[in-house]
Amino acid sequence: MDKKYCAYICAGCGIGDALDMEALAGIVTGEMSMECKTHACLCGADGRALIEKDIAGGVNTVVVGACSPRVMGREFDFGKDRITVRANLREQVVWAQEKPEEGKEPHSEAAAFLQEAASDYMRMACTRAKKTLPPEPYKLEEINKTILVMGGGLAGLTAAKEAADAGYNVIVAEKENAIGGKALGWRKSFPTKAPWTDLEENPVKSLIASVEANPKIAIKTATEVARISGAPGNFGITFKAAGTRTEWDAPSKVTVDQQDMIEKGTMEDPNKGLKKYTEQNADAIKVGSVVLATGWKPADVSQYEHLGYGKIKNVVTNAEFERLAKDGKVPANVAFVQSPGGKDHDKDFPYCNSVTSMVALKQAQYVCQDNTDGKAYILYQHMRTPGHMELFYKSAQNNDGIFLTKGNVMKVEESGNGLTVAVENTLLGEDLSLNVDMVVLAAGMEPTTLSENSINLAYRQGPAFAELELFDGYADSHFICFPYETRRTGVYACGGVRKAETMEEAVDDATGAALKAIQCIESVDRGVAVHPRSGDATYPEFFFQRCTQCKRCTEECPFGALDDDEKGTPLPNPTRCRRCGTCMGACPERIIGFKDYNIDLIGSMIKAIEVPEDDEDRLRILALVCENDAYPAIDMAGMKRLGLNHMVRFIPVRCLGSVNMAWIRDALSAGMDGAILLGCAYGDDYQCHFVKGSEIANKRMENIGDTLSTLGLESERCATNQVAITDYDKIPQIINEFVEQIVEMGPNPFKGF
Amino acid sequence: MNVQPDLGFIKSLKESGGDTLKKCFQCATCSVMCPLAKEGKPFPRKEMIWAQWGLKEKLVTDPDVFLCHQCGDCTANCPRGAKPGDVLGAIRAFAYTFYGWPAPLAKLASSAKGLPVLIGIPVLVIFIMWALSGAMHFPTKEEFASHGYQQFFGTWDFYWYAKNIFFIVLIMVPALGIGLFSGFKGISTMWKTMCDNAGLNKEYRPSIVQFVQNFLWPSLVEIVKHSRFRECKTNIDRVRGHLPLMLAFIGLFIVTCWSLLKNDVLGLIWPSLHGPLPMTDPFKLLANVSAIALLFGIGVLWANRKKAESELNTQPTFYDWFLIWEITAVGVTGLAAELLRWAGMPILGYIVYFLHLVSVMMLFLYLPYTKFAHLLYRTTAYAFEKYRQSEYGKVN
Repeated sequence: MDKKYCAYICAGCGIGDALDMEALAGIVTGEMSMECKTHACLCGADGRALIEKDIAGGVNTVVVGACSPRVMGREFDFGKDRITVRANLREQVVWAQEKPEEGKEPHSEAAAFLQEAASDYMRMACTRAKKTLPPEPYKLEEINKTILVMGGGLAGLTAAKEAADAGYNVIVAEKENAIGGKALGWRKSFPTKAPWTDLEENPVKSLIASVEANPKIAIKTATEVARISGAPGNFGITFKAAGTRTEWDAPSKVTVDQQDMIEKGTMEDPNKGLKKYTEQNADAIKVGSVVLATGWKPADVSQYEHLGYGKIKNVVTNAEFERLAKDGKVPANVAFVQSPGGKDHDKDFPYCNSVTSMVALKQAQYVCQDNTDGKAYILYQHMRTPGHMELFYKSAQNNDGIFLTKGNVMKVEESGNGLTVAVENTLLGEDLSLNVDMVVLAAGMEPTTLSENSINLAYRQGPAFAELELFDGYADSHFICFPYETRRTGVYACGGVRKAETMEEAVDDATGAALKAIQCIESVDRGVAVHPRSGDATYPEFFFQRCTQCKRCTEECPFGALDDDEKGTPLPNPTRCRRCGTCMGACPERIIGFKDYNIDLIGSMIKAIEVPEDDEDRLRILALVCENDAYPAIDMAGMKRLGLNHMVRFIPVRCLGSVNMAWIRDALSAGMDGAILLGCAYGDDYQCHFVKGSEIANKRMENIGDTLSTLGLESERCATNQVAITDYDKIPQIINEFVEQIVEMGPNPFKGF
Repeated sequence: MNVQPDLGFIKSLKESGGDTLKKCFQCATCSVMCPLAKEGKPFPRKEMIWAQWGLKEKLVTDPDVFLCHQCGDCTANCPRGAKPGDVLGAIRAFAYTFYGWPAPLAKLASSAKGLPVLIGIPVLVIFIMWALSGAMHFPTKEEFASHGYQQFFGTWDFYWYAKNIFFIVLIMVPALGIGLFSGFKGISTMWKTMCDNAGLNKEYRPSIVQFVQNFLWPSLVEIVKHSRFRECKTNIDRVRGHLPLMLAFIGLFIVTCWSLLKNDVLGLIWPSLHGPLPMTDPFKLLANVSAIALLFGIGVLWANRKKAESELNTQPTFYDWFLIWEITAVGVTGLAAELLRWAGMPILGYIVYFLHLVSVMMLFLYLPYTKFAHLLYRTTAYAFEKYRQSEYGKVN
């Protein structure tokens, strides 16, 4: 594309009052050799008309020096074939100007500082415009739009039905001999409509009938998935008979060190007899995306010895009691034990979420329905009945035969024909001893991913989801920001494998996952990213001639998008990719980049910043900030006029994981005095959109600190910080404290070299 | 504690005003709101869960149940609409039946189904007595003017004992006697169990004098002053009704005692003392003032109850309304009989007087089973509370 540039600077929102517009335009026309126009209100009809007229006249690359790129998106969108670059003069320059302390005069050069910052942002934007290329979407040669649903329980069947109703072909793989899953054993289900008080018919029977009658749904019972190879839009599924072992089973992950040991013969190959993960099965069935609904297993509760499960007859789990209730009559006196901790702790059984509270309320009703003088005792530490289920709780509570109390269940013992339950610290003000016929333990629902791979991917990073211990074994799916999405693009989790949930929730969940699976296929078809950068048409491109097979990119990709060949050369799977650029940040050879985001582009922007020499009031500090949380937080700090130090220059990055240490070296060797990275929280409660980006960046920065020391630079000149989008009020403190630290260290001794 | 919930008990509470009891979720707002709950001994939170669990034995021996004045502060502030005040009322109703002796009569007095029999008994007794007395005729205007109702049961010429008084005593004393005996049985059972439950040492007990001096008398003073009633916020209006009503009963009690003394003791010596009192007599004056106070008081309580039913959604119960009807009947028939005497209408007067006797007998006979029993049980609970907090309660 032949680029014809023009820059526009807006004088609105206080920009024109604070800055010398002519001088600013002069920088663009002079240093950047780009035509430049100013306008009082660019986002208004007049302003747009001005730009559109130029576009009609041939301009195709527009630089807008105005507000934050996070606002006025539609106003400054000039179509797919135009490149628009925004310089954030409003939130991060004019509005971010430091206010003098109370009673003090502003700095004599305050206006000059502001002008310098604005000039740098215009230089960076113009540089970016010059380096940006229009994206060329990655298209698969062949795309398959069938959806594979793993698991034929309530969640899986719902997902299948929803996807089929939306027009997609579906294959359901169920390892049991019949579909329906655990729901087949449930007598009633929770209320789904007002007044939210009455138990309803179990929906699974009618669901099975409608799935079986649907011509778009193929059901494979007694079938497991041996391996899933390929990538979204073109997955290759190898099925096998349930419970068997085949050569196409997904191979375990073998690390580089383990591979060495295997080759030396000091370790047995765990994948002996299995086909290599890169090998393609010609008989594999092609699908576009996968819904993982492999469900849950009842947790083992025999470890709680005082409750007697496994030793005392008539101590049963809630799942066993439900089956009993479905097949016939339940006993007349039943105690429901919700928490196993006795005196020691008040936690519920693990993996129960709010489900077991509601199940106990449901099953207590069976006791009263089946027996005229039925008595059900619910002994809880917590009653969790979210949303409308509060009304269900109230109606169950109103039942004469249901007795509720908080309390520590100390012991279940046999006595005569029945059982005695000892409860301490109850709401009745004294310890209770209850004579009952049966005790029901509120066992939790362990996701299948806790004990097995479930998904069986033939990926470089192994067959299972990574690091599920952070999520107690649940298929990771950030339930607030990114529900249903797992760490593997194109695989969407729903039902019990995602969280302990009721049938009603599973139905909602499965519908969401089916929609995600469809979104994935359609995004792949258009050659754009699925999520979280939905619609991004760029993708990482590799300059393989210079690849040294260091494997950093294949190891670090948070989503397992990169496989590799025998030598270790990465094999990209762009449809698995989420475009975070972690590979780009990892690559020491700097051979990975996007059309509009690469090492050279950001590096050139850094170099475009003017670094004055020998002026302690004019140090230059680079801040590379995550565009998802930190950048909007800085914008908000500007909107609130919290004041940020004038020596800092912010550059948004896709994710801290994409920050290549070359940029830090570029900045410091260009004479900048410090560099700070602002990204999301990492660790157990990580908030990174790309899961690992901020954590990886932090590690890299630790390493670069060592490098700086060897050069005689203080390692403190580089820092990372964790910022959530809500931390806007902490931004000035973080920035200004870092600047103070740099000021104390003094200017970069390499300035001017 | 081995727990055996009594489903029948729960059901009966739900039917007698406590229909909301299962709604309680133990937040204890009620115990915080209650102006009468003592620090360290809060209620009615615990009573609510005992009721939910059908723990009959615990509730009927719980002094706090009887200390409640049902002011409605808890009910008005309950976030779940569990109406603890009404539930406690239902528990008291149940307790009076539970302690009532003889049990069939107590059961009869507990529901509207028994109403025909409840009215039938005194009607029949008094009618038979009237027949037996042989006085079965209506007086002439002159006779009516000079004797009033003094010869309702005829007249004897034994100057030392009026026939009329003989019959009235024959009816009313056994009626009150049964009522008081049954009530005493109930409160002594309750007292013993409350002592046991509170773990009080039986070795140390006050003498009767000490008991009256230290516990009973201060309780009565407190009751007459209405100090606890006045703590209530939601239903403070009830003091305006309950106080005149209670004072009216005290006034009428004094008049009755004087009448008994005058007719049955002094009348034996000076037969001229028989006969209706003149309007100027201070006792007659007290009687009339009391009658008016009674009607005013019960009127206020009637209106209050209606208001609670419409505003607080209180369930109308036989237990509450039976007492209101009874007292209203006593007041209305009593005053009407007097007015008819002045008006010189003997036949109507006699009929109304008959009804007056019926209503008074009902009040006496059913005292321990109806809401009227609160004057025994609540007083006992007051005294017990003071006893428990005294040195006697602390010795263990």
